[in-house]
Amino acid sequence: MDPQAMKMLAVGLAVGLGMLGPGLGIGLIGYSAMQALGRNPEARGPIMTNMILSIAFAEAIGIYVLIVAIILAMVV
Amino acid sequence: MPRRGCMGCSLPLIIGLLVLFIISFISGPIGSRLTGDLGFPSFFSVSQPTPQLPPETVFQLGWFNITNSIIAGWLTIVVLGAIFYAATRRVKLIPSKLQNVMEAILGWLMTFCKEVAGEENGRKFFPVVTTIFLFVIANAWLGLLPGFASITITNPYGEHVHLLRAANTDINMPLAMALTSFIVVGYFGSKSVGTKRFLGQYFNVGRLFRGVGQIFRGNLRAGLGMVFTGVIDTFVGILELLSVFIRIMSFTFRLFGNMTAGEILLLMVIFLVAWVAALPFYGLELLVGFVQALIFAGLTLVFLTVAATPHEAEAA
Repeated sequence: MDPQAMKMLAVGLAVGLGMLGPGLGIGLIGYSAMQALGRNPEARGPIMTNMILSIAFAEAIGIYVLIVAIILAMVV
Repeated sequence: MPRRGCMGCSLPLIIGLLVLFIISFISGPIGSRLTGDLGFPSFFSVSQPTPQLPPETVFQLGWFNITNSIIAGWLTIVVLGAIFYAATRRVKLIPSKLQNVMEAILGWLMTFCKEVAGEENGRKFFPVVTTIFLFVIANAWLGLLPGFASITITNPYGEHVHLLRAANTDINMPLAMALTSFIVVGYFGSKSVGTKRFLGQYFNVGRLFRGVGQIFRGNLRAGLGMVFTGVIDTFVGILELLSVFIRIMSFTFRLFGNMTAGEILLLMVIFLVAWVAALPFYGLELLVGFVQALIFAGLTLVFLTVAATPHEAEAA
């Protein structure tokens, strides 16, 4: 197979499959944060702070995938 | 004064923006595939961008290459210093406008530190966290100003390179900040609970040795139990040590990835539709810059808090 075609396929697959995990992860974090907020609206401060923190961790995994895709597309 | 039309903007302005958008859509690469070359003047189209990951050298000081991201970092330092100098030049009890804005920003950051770290630790960690936050956000937002991709200069190798480039897109800058964060966490952890106890979190061999001592003293069953949990404790300590180093990599790549992806996104959008379409993406970039600064500073604060709080002594 043509190396250029393989490279494009690799970039597309990397980003597509790799973003499934972080997407689901962030959705789950948001879901649990909404449930907690519904049960205890007074604890809004700590809940939101911890939710933003957890979303940052989950999003970082997606950013690693993006780095690999950028390196594949432009440097290789 | 124009009559307040739809959404509070004047109607000619909205129509003008729409016309500009349609013209730049047609004369850009998407439109010229659809309609063929219509002969628009050349300032409606942008040449294909070639984003480069490593930053380009502008000049050399002896053996050290000064890259355009280093120059942008110096610009950030000068801008931040100038703003705060101007705000604190004549400090009054009833503050002037600039002093008021700076006090609001610092007050919000102090509240954030105190919320996460508690009263007394919050004051101790405030300078480091605020410096990291202000530096990251100034780097990110200054990189969106117009001059940052337009001013070019010829470097000693003869190539045409940009004079300035957002400092967070050079991987050395987030790496340096992550290493600083690591050193600061180690320093404050050692100062709060003592160096021996702080390092003892990672080399947790106390229970293992006590178990072996119990076996030698003849107390076989209790000794074996302590040896077993001691082995588990040791491995957990090694994993925590590993996680400290993974944390450095994670900080670096999170900040670098977000900033580089944003820069490449803006370049691609401006290449596709040259004039109006990049505005929502500029808004996204402002938000991403703020959120990434908050996350870098906030995670540093959380790790500082965890390192400075002594664990309760476990029952032997």
